[in-house]
Amino acid sequence: MHNEAGQFIANARQALANPPMLAAVKRATDTADRKRDLAMFADGREHGEALRQQSATARHRALSQLPALLEQAEERLTANGATVLWAVDAAEVCRHVQEIAARHNVRRVTKSKSMISEEVGLNDALIAAGIDVLETDLGEFIIQLAAEPPSHIVTPVIHKSKETIRDLFVERLGMPPTDDAQTMARFAREHLRAAFLSSEMGISGGNFIIAETGTLCLVTNEGNGRMVTTLPPVHVALVGIEKVIATLEDYALLTQVLPRSATGQALAVYTHMINAPRRTGEDDGPEALYVILVDNGRSAIYESEYAEVLGCIRCGACMNACPIYEAVGGHAYGWVYPGPIGAVLTPLMTGLKEASPLPNASSLCGKCKEVCPIDIDLPRMLLNLRRDLVVQGHTPLPWLAGMRAWSVAARSPRVFDAAARAAHAVQPVLPKGKKLPLGPLAGWTASRELPQLAAQPFRAWWSEREKRAAQQKAEESDDQP
Amino acid sequence: MTSRDAILRRLRAVKPPYADEPPPAEYLPVVPLDASDRAALIDRFVTKAEALSSVVHRCASEEQARATVLDIISPDDRVLCWDFVHIPLPGLAEALDRAGIAIAPPDDASVRVGITGADAALAATGSLVIASGAGKPRRTSLLPLVHVAVARAEQILPHMEAWIAEMRARGDNAFTDPSSIVIVSGPSRTADIAMELILGMHGPGALHIVLIESEKQQ
Repeated sequence: MHNEAGQFIANARQALANPPMLAAVKRATDTADRKRDLAMFADGREHGEALRQQSATARHRALSQLPALLEQAEERLTANGATVLWAVDAAEVCRHVQEIAARHNVRRVTKSKSMISEEVGLNDALIAAGIDVLETDLGEFIIQLAAEPPSHIVTPVIHKSKETIRDLFVERLGMPPTDDAQTMARFAREHLRAAFLSSEMGISGGNFIIAETGTLCLVTNEGNGRMVTTLPPVHVALVGIEKVIATLEDYALLTQVLPRSATGQALAVYTHMINAPRRTGEDDGPEALYVILVDNGRSAIYESEYAEVLGCIRCGACMNACPIYEAVGGHAYGWVYPGPIGAVLTPLMTGLKEASPLPNASSLCGKCKEVCPIDIDLPRMLLNLRRDLVVQGHTPLPWLAGMRAWSVAARSPRVFDAAARAAHAVQPVLPKGKKLPLGPLAGWTASRELPQLAAQPFRAWWSEREKRAAQQKAEESDDQP
Repeated sequence: MTSRDAILRRLRAVKPPYADEPPPAEYLPVVPLDASDRAALIDRFVTKAEALSSVVHRCASEEQARATVLDIISPDDRVLCWDFVHIPLPGLAEALDRAGIAIAPPDDASVRVGITGADAALAATGSLVIASGAGKPRRTSLLPLVHVAVARAEQILPHMEAWIAEMRARGDNAFTDPSSIVIVSGPSRTADIAMELILGMHGPGALHIVLIESEKQQ
C-alpha cells in the first residue's frame, strides 16, 4: 500500500475539516472502548488484569521461541496437507499468490479481511495479472467500492455514515434506495454470495497459527471467512511470521482475549480452526491449502529493541482508546495500521524518515498500553522512536534549535532566571489571547492561546518564601524565654 | 539461499526477546466457572446462547426434539443435513421422511435450512463446537439462512479451556483429526453499517439449538 504517513499533519488537517466523519469515529470508538472494558473485566479488575498479564506471557513465550515454532508449524501444517511458502517481502507475497493463481487457473478471487494483503498491495498485483478480486467482509467490500483504504483494522468503515454507504450501493451496484441497514446488508449478501460460489480462490489472513498442531486460526463474525476458506477450490492464507503461538492452551486464552478487546464479544461468532484441506470422504472444503508465512519487515523488528510490538494480536483496542485517533480518524496515519500501534509499526516497517510525524502523533497519555491485552508498552516505544528521530537527524531545524535552547536554560539556574525575567519583560507588549505575529511561532498559537505568565516567576517567589520562613523562624527563636 | 532459510537465519542471529522470562504457569480460565453444578452449567449455556440471539429449544424428550426440528423446517420440503449418525437424535431420518422432507445434496445453496449435530457445547459463552469431516460437511452450517444444531445436555462443557483439555485427554490426533473445527457463537452478524447490529450477514441469520435434556435412550 502507498505510504502517506509523512503527510500526517496535512491529512489530519483535512480530517479536522470533516466533522461528520469525526463524529462517526468518536461514536464508534467510544462504544467499542466501553464494550472492551465491560468484556475484559466481566469478572472483576483483578481477574481481567491477570488475563492481560498471562496473554502477554503467552505472546512473549512465542516470540522467545519464534524460529523453532515457525519450523514446527511448517512441519505440522505440511503433515496436515497444507503447502507452506515463505515470503521475505511484499513482492514475494504477490509473486507466490500470482503463481498459485496461474497453477490453478484462477480468474476470480474472493477475500476475507487480511491486513497483510493491504501491506503488500496484493489486490493491485492480482488485478495487474488479470484476476478479479472481491473483498467480502462488508466493511472491506464498501471501501473497495469507494476505492479507499481501511481506516481501522477491525472496523474498516468506521468513518462512513449509513447515508454514504447507501449512496455508494445505489450508484455502484444499482441497489434500490433504502435507509434500512438490514436491507442494505441483505443486498450485499446476495451480491457476494454469488461471488463466493463462483470464485476459484479464497484468500484469508490468519489470526494465529498453533505450532504444535499446525492449525490456522481465524476469527470472523460475518461468516465470510468461513465462505472463502470453504467454497473455492483453493484457499491461500497470508500470515505474518509473528502470528505463530506455541500451544492449544495459549490459543484458548488468546482467541478469547482478542474479541473481548476488539469488540467486547466473549468469542467471535466464528472461532475457526483449519487443520487441513478437504480430506478423503469429505463433501466440501478446498482441495488445496497454501499458507504463506510473511516477513515483510518483521524480522528486522525482531532484531531491534522494538521486538515487543510483534506481540500485537491486532485487536484495535489502542485505536478505540486513543485521543489522537479519535481526533483525526484512521486515514490521517497514511498507511495500513492507524492509531498508536500504527504510529509504532509504520515507522518500523516503512522507514522512520518516511513516517517521521507518527511518533509525535501521541499525547503519551498511556491509555494504549492500559487497554492493550498484551500490555505492550506503546508509549515507551513512541518515546524511543522520538529519540531515534533526533539521533538520526529527522527533526526539523527550528524544533531542534528550540529544544537546544531549552536544554541550555534548563541546566543552568542563572540562564533560566534570566530567560524568565526576559519573558516577563516582553509579556506586556505581546497581544493578549491572540495569535503571535512572529513567523515560526505563529503556528504554535494558531490553535491555542498564548499562556499568561504568573505575576512573579516561580524561582523568585520561592526564594522570597524561603527568606520569609527563615526570618519568621529567627523571630520565633528570639521570642523563646 | 531460500526465503525460508533467510528468514530463519535472521531470526536466529539475535538473542531472542524474552529469553529469560519464565514459561507461563497454569493459566486462569478466561471465564471462571464452577463445573461441578451440572444444572447451573446447562442454565448458563442457555442464557448465554440466547444473549447471542440463538434460539434454544430445551427438549425433555427425543420425541419433543424431533417435533421441534420439523416445526423449524416447516413449510419447506428440502433441507441440508449431516449424515444421521452424526446427529444425536435417533429417529430423525424417519421423522423427516414421514413429513415428506427430502435431503438436498450438500452443495445446494438454495436450501433454507441446514441440520447438524455438535461436537461439544460451551456454557461460558453459549457456543457450539462443530467439526467437519466425512458426513459432516462445512456448508450445512454455513450456506442456509437457518441453522438447526442438535445437541445433548451431556455435551455441555464449562468453557473453551475444558474443551481443549478434553481434546488433549483423547490423545495426540484428536484435535487434528477433523479437517476444520468452528466454534459457533450465535448467528452470523455485522455492525459495519453505522454500528447497527445486523444478523445473517453471510452465514445463517438464525441459529436454533435443539437441546435434548433427557437421558439417552438405549
